[in-house]
Amino acid sequence: MQKYISQHNLDTLLDTLIKRGIRVVAPRMNAGIPLYEPLGSSGEVVSDTLPRRSAKEAFFPVCEDIMSYKKEGQKVTITDIDPGRFPETVLFGVRPCDAAAIPVLDAVFSWDYKDEFFLERRKKTTIIGLACTAADDACFCTAVGLSPSASKGSDLFLTALEGGGYACDTCSEKGEALIANNQALFDGPSTSNPIPFAEPQTDTFDLTKVKAWLNDHFEDPLWDGIATRCVGCGACAFVCPACHCFDIVDEGTEKAGKRRKNWDACGFWKFTHHASGHNPRDLQPKRYRNRIMHKFKYYDDKFGQTLCTGCGRCVRICPVGIDIAAIVEEINKK
Amino acid sequence: MCDHTNKNIYLPYLATVEEVIDETPDVRTLKLVFQDEKVRDSFVFRAGQFGEYSAFGAGESTFCIASSPTRKGHIECCFRSVGRVTEELRRLEVGDTMGVRGPYGNSFPIEDFYGKNLVFVAGGIALPPLRTLIWNCLDLRDKFGDITIVYGARTESDLVYKRELQEWQERGDVRLVKTVDPGGNSPDWDGKVGFVPTVLEEAAPSAENSIALVCGPPIMIKFTLPVFERLGFTDEQVYTTLENRMKCGLGKCGRCNVGNVYVCKDGPVFTAKQVKAMPMEF
Amino acid sequence: MTSLIDTTIYSAITEAIRVEAARILSEGEVTAVVGYAAARRKGSAQPIVINTAADAGQLIFTPSCVNNLAVYLTKAKKEISKTGKIGIVVKGCDLKALVGLMGESQLKREDMYLIGVPCIGVLASTVQPATGLTAETIAPKCTECDAHLPQGCDFVPAQTPVVTKLEHKYAAEIARLEALTPAERWAYWKEQFTKCIKCYACRQVCPFCFCEQCLCDRNKPQMVDTTPRPAGNAAWHIVRAMHLAGRCAGCAECERVCPMDIPLNLLNRKMAMELKELYDYEAGFDVLDKGPLTMFTDKDDQSFIK
Repeated sequence: MQKYISQHNLDTLLDTLIKRGIRVVAPRMNAGIPLYEPLGSSGEVVSDTLPRRSAKEAFFPVCEDIMSYKKEGQKVTITDIDPGRFPETVLFGVRPCDAAAIPVLDAVFSWDYKDEFFLERRKKTTIIGLACTAADDACFCTAVGLSPSASKGSDLFLTALEGGGYACDTCSEKGEALIANNQALFDGPSTSNPIPFAEPQTDTFDLTKVKAWLNDHFEDPLWDGIATRCVGCGACAFVCPACHCFDIVDEGTEKAGKRRKNWDACGFWKFTHHASGHNPRDLQPKRYRNRIMHKFKYYDDKFGQTLCTGCGRCVRICPVGIDIAAIVEEINKK
Repeated sequence: MCDHTNKNIYLPYLATVEEVIDETPDVRTLKLVFQDEKVRDSFVFRAGQFGEYSAFGAGESTFCIASSPTRKGHIECCFRSVGRVTEELRRLEVGDTMGVRGPYGNSFPIEDFYGKNLVFVAGGIALPPLRTLIWNCLDLRDKFGDITIVYGARTESDLVYKRELQEWQERGDVRLVKTVDPGGNSPDWDGKVGFVPTVLEEAAPSAENSIALVCGPPIMIKFTLPVFERLGFTDEQVYTTLENRMKCGLGKCGRCNVGNVYVCKDGPVFTAKQVKAMPMEF
Repeated sequence: MTSLIDTTIYSAITEAIRVEAARILSEGEVTAVVGYAAARRKGSAQPIVINTAADAGQLIFTPSCVNNLAVYLTKAKKEISKTGKIGIVVKGCDLKALVGLMGESQLKREDMYLIGVPCIGVLASTVQPATGLTAETIAPKCTECDAHLPQGCDFVPAQTPVVTKLEHKYAAEIARLEALTPAERWAYWKEQFTKCIKCYACRQVCPFCFCEQCLCDRNKPQMVDTTPRPAGNAAWHIVRAMHLAGRCAGCAECERVCPMDIPLNLLNRKMAMELKELYDYEAGFDVLDKGPLTMFTDKDDQSFIK
């Protein structure tokens, strides 16, 4: 059943969780930009803006240690990372486009081999989504089948109400448990109207049709047309809530160090470059094609899902104005 | 499939370098023994599978497991020293420790080859991915018909597993056709001179009840597949193994895909039919 | 709300660019023109390469034409055909990069047809593309621009840019940082570098980052840690700033494209100030200049040798 929580009680909830030793991650300002980061108190939350990076980093950090090594003579000792060290977390204020990407990522991190780094954090995290009330013309969640009020991926979903406070929908057992543990802060449903949801101004894509076109157009002038201007950075992949490619590197001294897993991007020439010098994706259009193919075809082929939630971040930050929504719209019209 | 007892799928097993064998001036074989005795028994693999080999401090590199699953107690890898990790692996001496993750990927469906003639075709450093299967088949020699091996490299010195070539040549139950590129031979070279596809065409193995297994640089594959077509092999009769840059080997990190095919999970072993269905991106 | 900066001349400039681009393409003077075209988002623009006179109508110049297109002429962009002479639309700040690239023997003047733009200013990266140009929304670099009217181009539309005097944003910020103690300043940059995610957008858009293989992409040896952690981030940004000293002419593309809003151009401007002080040198003006850091004379400052 829907509940109501006042702004004051919501702040109390976050502060109580923090006091209980639960890590609360929410949009807050860091050196001038909003990012999903651990809160010191509820007062730090900035809820009126989409964080510059997505919520994926609560599960798949920019960089993390996956083991350490130590060499002594001919012997090497390696030390595992204890997944028990990942703290119980509440991820708060997550936009629908960010929350929706998390279950999409479950697929790749759990098929066959289970990536405990992602999955342990996932197990220990409760996601509180927040309906979106402001879109700009880079937003296109509605085009990929989501919406500013979509609760996909959220355990609890909040909708801001006229006159203050939030309607709170329970979407999972984790969400139920969070309410059960903090009963006093929630009231019965409110009769207030929601603050109007954002209205992204894009047509809905027919994703089946888009994929059908991609199936037959690995070679197409479209790729050269779009991607000649691509400069080959990783910005689009790094701000994306669904991109999940990574690198594994050793860093440290001759004697001791860490093995680390860090974000990587298919836009980099080095990504697929063989030690021999051969590179299967030797030119930028091939690399950009992989980005579109992975999102709208390959991931669907493998896992039956689209690897894009329409957050628009890549559209906003692309140094050369490459607009994935415009590209898919063009494919959709073919 | 890998039965990792560890929860951390990125954690390697530790292995000791038991023997170092220089195959060519820049290609080296390392014979490895797992340090954990339990792993020595539990590490079960099939011909065609690969591993991620660590030189701690430098990182991991992907190679096939070059030894045969029939030879227990150790595994071998064979690599050319070209990058940061392989250069570091090359510095390892007998008794040193390295890391191994695996076995990963699919394998050659060897049971399907029982009763058939086998034609192995390899070029240069690409013999190791077939050598695992060659020994596997030779160790079960009765189960197969004729075995032909066509192997070439740029020069005599670039041929890997020279002792084994000698052994195969001397065995009565294998037909070895070895070749080097024109100009790559010394005066006492006892093999052919010519490119692998040409030499294969001359050797003309019969397609009748046969399976072809090909591994080599992209250019060699490109010219070898049409030869097999001319010899009457269907695309289902020809197998190859692809190598792409990999990091995780586990179907996650996103770089080894050819179209929607993840080489690390769906491969590395493919039939020519499967390869031809892939987009040209390898 | 501050008043709009008058950019009405941009429509006439757009028209002039189209006519000129169509002419040079149809007369075969160039094989391609690199310019700006409108994109999907309201008021937005993106780089475009056109090869026929018929496409010249797509070219525009607006306050959203922020990119320094010089990057498309460097060897880092192999996808752009370098067969024949290329036309390129340049603002004064972009032209400085081309001048520097010519000085470094990366480009030849005779291989380019320069369409200079009389420019009043373009938008900051922090605002929506449809925003009007004001003292607040203008790109910081434009507040200290000394090249509103590019010199030495093959064609410049006749319009005269009327420029409003604005507070010099970088100068003010550099002065603020210089007043800090070294520890405070280091704390400031550490915080900024913490945000870096190693997307290398700053490198990829930089006309001077044309190395075929960046030091940071090499791993034998691994000079700079590749992961986005404090050590590797600081190392990368120091390497970048040092490598651009005496070369960067201030197009500020690195800073514009940084998805984490790291004020990278402050480092570049500080380096430029040092070069001015030590060698009385300013990058981007003279094609024949080799730059003081690529030469040695016995008059060079040697005060750093202690």
